[in-house]
Amino acid sequence: MGSIMEKKPITKVLVANRGEIAIRIMRSCREMGIETVAVFSEADRSAMHVRYANEAYNIGPAPSSESYLNMDKIIATAKASGADAIHPGYGFLSENSKFARRCREEGLVFIGPSPESIEMMGDKISARKKMIAAGVPIVPGTTEKVTSEAEAIKHIKEIGLPVMIKASAGGGGKGMRLVKKESQITSSLRAARSEAKTAFGDDALYIEKYVDSPHHIEFQILSDKYGNTVHLFERECSVQRRHQKVVEETPSPIMTPEVRSQMGAYAVAAANAANYEGAGTIEFIVDEHLNFYFLEMNTRLQVEHPITERVVGVDLVKEQIRIAEGNKLPFNQEDLAQSGHAIECRIYAEDTDNNFMPNPGTITHITEPYGFGIRCDGYVYEGYTIPIYYDSLISKLIVWGRNRDEAIERMRRALYEYKITGVKTTIRFLERIMDTPDFRKGMYNTHFIEKNSEFLLVKGKCDRNCEDIALIATYAQYISRIDESKKLNAAPSEKKETNWKRQLRKFTSRI
Amino acid sequence: MELELKVNNRNAIVKEVKREGNLLTLSVDDAIYEVDIVKVNSQEFSVLYKGRSFNIEVIESKEPKHYNVNTRDFKFDVEVIDNESRYRQSRMQSKLVLNDNIIRSPMPGKVVRVFVKPGDIVEAGQPLIVLSAMKMESEFKAGQRGVVKEVPVKEGDTVDNDQLLVVIEDIKEK
Repeated sequence: MGSIMEKKPITKVLVANRGEIAIRIMRSCREMGIETVAVFSEADRSAMHVRYANEAYNIGPAPSSESYLNMDKIIATAKASGADAIHPGYGFLSENSKFARRCREEGLVFIGPSPESIEMMGDKISARKKMIAAGVPIVPGTTEKVTSEAEAIKHIKEIGLPVMIKASAGGGGKGMRLVKKESQITSSLRAARSEAKTAFGDDALYIEKYVDSPHHIEFQILSDKYGNTVHLFERECSVQRRHQKVVEETPSPIMTPEVRSQMGAYAVAAANAANYEGAGTIEFIVDEHLNFYFLEMNTRLQVEHPITERVVGVDLVKEQIRIAEGNKLPFNQEDLAQSGHAIECRIYAEDTDNNFMPNPGTITHITEPYGFGIRCDGYVYEGYTIPIYYDSLISKLIVWGRNRDEAIERMRRALYEYKITGVKTTIRFLERIMDTPDFRKGMYNTHFIEKNSEFLLVKGKCDRNCEDIALIATYAQYISRIDESKKLNAAPSEKKETNWKRQLRKFTSRI
Repeated sequence: MELELKVNNRNAIVKEVKREGNLLTLSVDDAIYEVDIVKVNSQEFSVLYKGRSFNIEVIESKEPKHYNVNTRDFKFDVEVIDNESRYRQSRMQSKLVLNDNIIRSPMPGKVVRVFVKPGDIVEAGQPLIVLSAMKMESEFKAGQRGVVKEVPVKEGDTVDNDQLLVVIEDIKEK
């Protein structure tokens, strides 16, 4: 436990991130009366987080390595602006122990766990050892780094096929190989090692039993500086592609109250074993018989945190800040309960018809969904050009319903309303997910997208009528353009409506 | 007013028969449509047809006289065919060079690697260039055996959607 127990209010937070998460963090700061400082790269001058913050400073060129990952510049900006804390968001510097340590040395509050906790849980092998010591079940496999091929083959024979070879320093699916047959062992080992070496500069591997038809279920935890930890229940994250989550929901459709309380208790034990402080996530892999194993801990806020917020009624960013200020958790485990059902859909700027190729560009039009039970955490606006340098996530759509069926119907309705043009997005693909029988029944695992790819990518048929209506609209547009240019020529003084007049008209028509 | 529109390899004639305020009667080739159509903003139309409600976006594309038309479920690329475009089309056809293998950027991005230079002989499937967009790298390969004629980009360049990356020509056997 930390030795500094005095409470120190945070008055100004620098958000070392961009995109939707930067805005989401600033929103909570605003509600708490905390000033916000944005940092931005040269590619992000017109980004929404810059416009939303109280202050904003340029920290360098577009590539993240020269801006959002530039620790010196970010720390200097925090000090110059008088910020007393830094919130790292997710990605970028959020799980970088060196950055957390630098903040501590410079007298800045890092809103997150200690550098020691980040290091312990960041190295997958040391995390596995820690979990064994804490009595948390882990996937059967090696507990020491495997560096030679002979050693690896021996371990694989002991564990039994199929196995998963993973990089100790790993993450994001790099340095990972599934081995099903004996003949694949040598080639997979070599491929995993070379990939790990290139991606992380470390070719140490570990080997785990492969869990077939797995579910990816994670538990949200919160720990204060005084050794109090609670869990905020589970999130089901099995709808994935390329090891990236697409849809998340809570409660998990396969969960039972007994297994939930068991897993929750292990999540709390795992956080305590890591001397954790702040918001974190314990990821489990769960097989179809509800056997569960610790997979890893994410020592930061997750992308999908809003579904937990919606169902449990807790603002996780506010709690992160309060914990960092030295406050005790305001609730016990018994005070927390799940109410209703929440689903999140991630909207990516990607071309679903073209192998999910990223599709940056300029947003020409956007219509966001509104109404009961809808939350939309995005950052793009009309006229905004999405830069090519960063993640393709442009928005998260979160809905709540009294039960799972209502949440699914509400998500379908919200996706129906959601329109973004100018760039290709995953909106229609997400609608198909909501319509997939396996999803509706709640019977799905991490193979869902692969298994249902035919259904997910099929398109409705456009008959002659539907094409003709499109032609009629084109005709109308062409004619109206001609009319406009005639008008312009006839009365040059009445030229275009000025921008503020247009805004005013939009505004008044809403009332 | 009559307009020739090209969509999905179909050339259709849209002809206005009658207009009363929002109510428009038109023929599209041999079919007659009575629609109630309102322009709701600079790029969007609300169309009521036989009681059904359609919201259609008609966005002017970068190419002149081309429109990207989006209904809820479908996207169309519609071209207005007038005398000017007919003339251009006939000229284009005569200039069309066959057997050229042209690689264009399918998205805006950054060139991270160029494997070939003009004059190189490449085999089908050989990697030519790597583009990076939004943290994902995509490799572009030669579709056929040939000789690299042109590489108008270099490593580090930022490229736009549809920008020319590599031109490969057939090898002329002597």
